[in-house]
Amino acid sequence: MFSVGVVSCCVDFEAVKKSNIYFDLPDIGDILVIYTSSSTTIHQTTMSEVSAAIASTKTVTATIEQAQSSSFLVGLAYNANNVWAQLVELLMKLPGGALIINYIKASHKNDPWRTVLEVLLALFAVKYFLASRYSQDERDKMVLSKRETDELIEEWTPEPIVLDVSNEEHWQLETNPLIKGPVTKRVTIQNYDNSLTEDVLNFASLDFLGMSMNNTVKDKAIECIKEVGVGACGPPNFYGTQSVHVRVCEDLAKFLDAADCIIYGQDYTTPISVLPCFLKRGDIVIVDGGANIALQKAALISRCNIEWFNHNDLDHLEEILESLTEDLNQGPLNRRFIVTEGLSENFGDSPDLKRLVEIKNKYKFRLILDESTSIGTLGNNGRGLAEVYNIPRSDIEITIGSMARAFGASGGFCVGNKDMIYHQILTSNAYVFSAALPPYVAKSTSAVIQLLTENEKSGQVNPYIAPLSDNSEYLHSLFAGSPELKNYITVKSCGYSPSLHIRISSALRKELNLPESYGGPGSIVLKAVKNGNEELYFDSLYNLESYKLQEIINESAKSKVLPTRTKRILHHELLPVVPELILHLSALQNKNDLDYTYSVVSKAIINTLDNWRAKGY
Amino acid sequence: MKDYYDINELSSKVPDPPVSNLPIEEKAKMEFGPLTSNKWLSVAQLDPNEEIKPSILDEPPYFIVLTTYLDYLVFLLIGHCKDFFGMLLMPQYFSALVAKDGYPPWYSAFESFYPRRLKRRLDDCFARPIHGVPGRFMNCFNRATPDYNESFRYDGTSTPCLNLSSYNYLGFAQSVGKCTEDSIEAVKKYGLSSCGPRNLIGNTDLHQNTERILSKFIGKEDSILFSMGWGTNAHLFSSMVNSKCLVISDSLNHASIRFGIRLSGAAVKVFPHNDMNALEKLLRESISQGQSKSHRPWKKIFVCVEGLYSMEGTYCNLPGLVSLRNKYHFYLFVDEAHSIGALGEHGRGICEYFNINPNNIDILMGTLTKSFGAAGGYISANKNIIDRLRLDITANNYSESMPPAVLQQISTSMRIIAGELNGNEGKERLQRIAFNSRYLRLGLKRLGYIIYGADDSPVIPLLLYNPSKMPGFSRKMLERGVAVVIVGYPATDVISSRIRFCMSSALTKEDIDRILAISADIGDELNLKFSTGIAGGEKNPGDWKKGIRPRWSIEEVLAKTPEDCKKKVLY
Repeated sequence: MFSVGVVSCCVDFEAVKKSNIYFDLPDIGDILVIYTSSSTTIHQTTMSEVSAAIASTKTVTATIEQAQSSSFLVGLAYNANNVWAQLVELLMKLPGGALIINYIKASHKNDPWRTVLEVLLALFAVKYFLASRYSQDERDKMVLSKRETDELIEEWTPEPIVLDVSNEEHWQLETNPLIKGPVTKRVTIQNYDNSLTEDVLNFASLDFLGMSMNNTVKDKAIECIKEVGVGACGPPNFYGTQSVHVRVCEDLAKFLDAADCIIYGQDYTTPISVLPCFLKRGDIVIVDGGANIALQKAALISRCNIEWFNHNDLDHLEEILESLTEDLNQGPLNRRFIVTEGLSENFGDSPDLKRLVEIKNKYKFRLILDESTSIGTLGNNGRGLAEVYNIPRSDIEITIGSMARAFGASGGFCVGNKDMIYHQILTSNAYVFSAALPPYVAKSTSAVIQLLTENEKSGQVNPYIAPLSDNSEYLHSLFAGSPELKNYITVKSCGYSPSLHIRISSALRKELNLPESYGGPGSIVLKAVKNGNEELYFDSLYNLESYKLQEIINESAKSKVLPTRTKRILHHELLPVVPELILHLSALQNKNDLDYTYSVVSKAIINTLDNWRAKGY
Repeated sequence: MKDYYDINELSSKVPDPPVSNLPIEEKAKMEFGPLTSNKWLSVAQLDPNEEIKPSILDEPPYFIVLTTYLDYLVFLLIGHCKDFFGMLLMPQYFSALVAKDGYPPWYSAFESFYPRRLKRRLDDCFARPIHGVPGRFMNCFNRATPDYNESFRYDGTSTPCLNLSSYNYLGFAQSVGKCTEDSIEAVKKYGLSSCGPRNLIGNTDLHQNTERILSKFIGKEDSILFSMGWGTNAHLFSSMVNSKCLVISDSLNHASIRFGIRLSGAAVKVFPHNDMNALEKLLRESISQGQSKSHRPWKKIFVCVEGLYSMEGTYCNLPGLVSLRNKYHFYLFVDEAHSIGALGEHGRGICEYFNINPNNIDILMGTLTKSFGAAGGYISANKNIIDRLRLDITANNYSESMPPAVLQQISTSMRIIAGELNGNEGKERLQRIAFNSRYLRLGLKRLGYIIYGADDSPVIPLLLYNPSKMPGFSRKMLERGVAVVIVGYPATDVISSRIRFCMSSALTKEDIDRILAISADIGDELNLKFSTGIAGGEKNPGDWKKGIRPRWSIEEVLAKTPEDCKKKVLY
C-alpha cells in the first residue's frame, strides 16, 4: 500500500503547482519526498510552510534544513499530499478502511522512523517478488550480442557421446563369455572366433542353488505362462498386480519372518530406489566402506550426509557413532541409518550381525541390510545372515534381497515393517513408475520358497542349502590351505561364502609394481569424474591386472572350467577396487568337480603369474 | 459382488484365481478379440506432405476451474483438521508419523499428507488385484472396504472387465498363440534365469539373436537389452554425461529419465513441453554462456524427449528437434517407451511416423513392456557407442541380465510385427490399434469431452478436472464392466485430473462402441462434457468459432464416427 502511494505521487507534478496545499499532519507522502530528494533546493516560501508543518516531527527537521530543494520538489510534495488525501478518502469509504488509516497514523505519530522502515520493507518485498527465481544465474550471465552468440555457437564442438573402445580395452569386449544354450552347471561357450568349447564347468553363475533349471520350478512357471502370458503389462498400482504377485510377497515375508514385503523388477535397482524413500537432505547414513555399488549410488542420490566406516570394522563404526552423538543429540530428530551387506559382494565376508544390532539399538540408528547374496545361501535354511546369528528379522528395519541370485528367477525385493513398505508403495520411484514383474517370475519364486521350506526340519540340514555350504567350505579350504598358491594369491572371502574371492597376494603385487587398490577417494579417476575428463577414466595398470586375470580364466576355460573376475567400473565406484578372480559355487557341483577345478585353476594361476613375473610387462 | 455382505465372511487375503472352465477358443477371444470387419482398420502414419499440427489444448469453463481449486481447498482443510485432532486424540493410528523410543518417524506427516488424506480416499481405484491375462478383458477381483480404504476384503469372485488400462498396445498379452508357445519352449530349454550380469555369464545366444532382431527392427546399428525399463534410463546417463555436461529435458519427461540424470550429476535445464522456440532460446543461451560461473563451454549437451508422452498422448516434435540438432550439434535422446510398436505403418515408432531416418537420433531408448507384452528396456545407437556402453553401463556389469522367456517373447512378437512370422497378423494388429485409437478419440470428442493428445496416439487422456470425479468415473466404469486408470496430482497439474484410456489392438470395434455408450452416460451423470470444439469433434468445421459446442448424441456418434475417423483430417 505504501508503495502505491509513492508511485502515484510521482505521476503528475505539473498539475501540482496549481493545486491547493493540504496539510493536516506531517504525512507519509511528504516525508517520502523529502527523504528521496535531499540534494536539490526548495522555493523559500513553501519551504517555510513545509518545515512548519513537519516541525512536530523532530527527527526529520535536520534533514529538511539540509534539503535546499527546487520548486519541482515542492510540487512533488504537494502532489504527494494531495494523492495521499485522496487515498485516505477512498480508504475511509471501504469497510475497515478507517481502522487501517488509524493504524498508520498512530504508528507514524509514535515512531516516524518505523514508517520509513516499513516503506523500505515494502519496497524490498516488491523487489523480491518481482526478481527472477534464478537471479544468481542471471547476474552471472555475460551480455552478448546476437552476432557474438552466433559465433560462439558456431565455435562450439561437443565431445563425443562416449569414447570409442580403444585397442587396449578391446579384449574386454572379446572375452565376455557367450553361452550357447542354457546357463547351468555345465555350459557351452562360443568363443570370439565362433569355435565352441563344450561341457565347461560353470563357476560364473549366481544361480547358487541351481533353481533356474529345477524341473519343479520350471513346471510351475510354465503353468503360469499358460495361464497369464509373459508380461504384466502395467505398473503395480494400475492393474499390474496379479494374485501371484501378492502370493510371492506373502511367501517372502513368511519365509523371512517379516511383516510385509514389496517386489521390484530388477535386483540392482532395488536399493537405489528404496534408500531415497527414507533418506532426504539432512538425514544421516553410515555406510560400510566395502559396500556394493548399488548401495553407494543409493546413498549418493539421497543427498543425505554420508559417513563411511571401514569394511566390517564395527569398532570404527562405534567410534563414528560416538563422535556424532553430541551433534545428533542437539540437532533435530532426523532419520539415521546404518547400511551394510549380509554377504559382501566385493569381499565375500559378513559383519558380526549380533554386535551390529546391539550397536544400532544403543545409538538409536536403523539398519538397512542388503542380503542380496546371503538370502538363499547363508543360514541352515537359507534365511540369510539373520538366521546365522539367530536374530529376529524385526530387529533389522529394512532388508533388501534379490530373486535373481539364489532363487534363480529375476527381480528384487524388500521386507520389513508394514508402515515402511506402505511408504514405498507410494513413493518408491522404481515401484511407482515401472511395470510390475512378469507374473511367471513371481510364481517361480514362490515355488522355490516352497521347495526350500517343505524340506525343512528343525535340527536337520536343508537338502538344497547344505550341499552349497559344503562345497563353499571345501573349495575355500583347497585354495586357502594350498602351500604352493600362498606366494601368489590371497583368498579374501570367508569359508561360508558361496563366492570364492581370490586376489594377487600383496607381496607379489609389490614385486609387480601394482598398487594396493585402484580408484577410491582422492584417486585420479575420481578427480577425472569430478572434472568431466573422460580420457582419464582409463587406468592402464587396472586394465593390465584385469587382463592377466582374464588370461587365467581363458586358460582354465580351455581345461573346461569357467571362473569369472570382478568387472567393476572404476569411474562409477566411489570406493577403492581390487581386481579379483571369483568362483561362484553351486549346490549342483560335487567334490570331484571341485577337486578338478582346484587343480585347473591353481595351475592357471601359477602359470600366468609366473609368466608375468618373468616377462615383466 | 453382491450388494450386502457380512464383513466377517470376507477374507482379507487376495484370493487365488478361481478355476476357469472356459474352452480354449473362448479364452483366446477374451484375450484378443477377433477382427469383426476389414473396414475397421487404419494406419498410424503421418503423410510426408502433411504439416504437423500443434496440439490444441481445450480449456474448461471458469466454473470448473474454480470448483476444482475449491475441492482441493476443502480436502486440505479436512485433512489438516483430521490430522490435528487425530494426533491429539487417537495417537495409536498415527504410529508411523510420530517419533517413538528415540527413533524418528519413518516419514513426516507433511511428506505423507497427500497420500494419506487425498489418495487414500480413492485407493479403491488403484492397485486392484487381477488374475489372468491383461488382454481384451481383465479379471478384477471383487473387493469391499470396511474402513474407508484402510484395508480391503475379498469374497473370492472376480469380474471380467474390458481392459482400457494395461499397456498392451498390440495385444501381445496372450496365453494362447505363437508368442506364448515360444516362451514356454524358451523356459524348457534355457531355464528361468540368466543367472548373472550380462558381462559375467548372462549372455546367451538368445540374447544376441534378440538384440540382432531388435536392431534391425529399429534401424540402428546395434542395441543392448536390459531387464528393466525404468532401470535402463536410471543407469544410462551416468555412463554418458558428467557434471560438466548439460541435459536439457522436456518438462513432462518420465520420472526414470529425471532419476537417471540426477544420478549422473549433470546440470539440468527444463524447457516447456514441446515448445521448440523455448528450446532454441535455451540452446542458444546455454551454448553461448557455457557452464554457470566458469563460463567454460559445456562438454556435451543432450536434449532428452519422449516419443509419445504417456500422460498427455502427445508426440515430441521430432522434425523440429532434428532440424535444431543439425543446427546446434547437440545430442538427441528419444525415449520410445510408448511409441515403439504402437506408431508408424510398420510399428517402428516415432521415427517411422514422422518419416525420419533413425540415424538422425543419437540414442534411441525404449521399453519392451508395452507393445511386445514382455518386460525390460533397450538402448539402440551406433555400434561404437553401444560397444562402449556394453563395458561401461553399470546394469551390464552389476545387474541381472534379461531372463529367457522374456527374450523369447520379445523376439517372437517383434518378428510377428515385422511380418516374418504368422503372415499378416502383425500388420493387422498395427492397423487395428491405429483404427481403435482414432475411433475412440474422435467419438469421445464428439460426445463433448475434452481430450488431449494427437489423433493417432494410443494414449487417450479424458480430462475430469474435479478430483472427486476421478473415483466417481472409475467406480461407475467398473460397475459397467470397464477397467480404467485415473491419474491426478502429483502425476499431472493440480487441476487437470484425468482418465487415461490405453488403447489396444485386442479390442474390437464393438467393444469401443460399448465404451462410448457407457462414457456418454457417465459424462452426463458427472457433468463432464465441457469441450468447446476447438480441439475437434465439431459437426461442421469452424463451429467452435460460432460458439456451437460439439454435443453429439450417442446414436449420431456410433453411426458416423467409425467411417469419419479414418479420414485424414479429423476436424
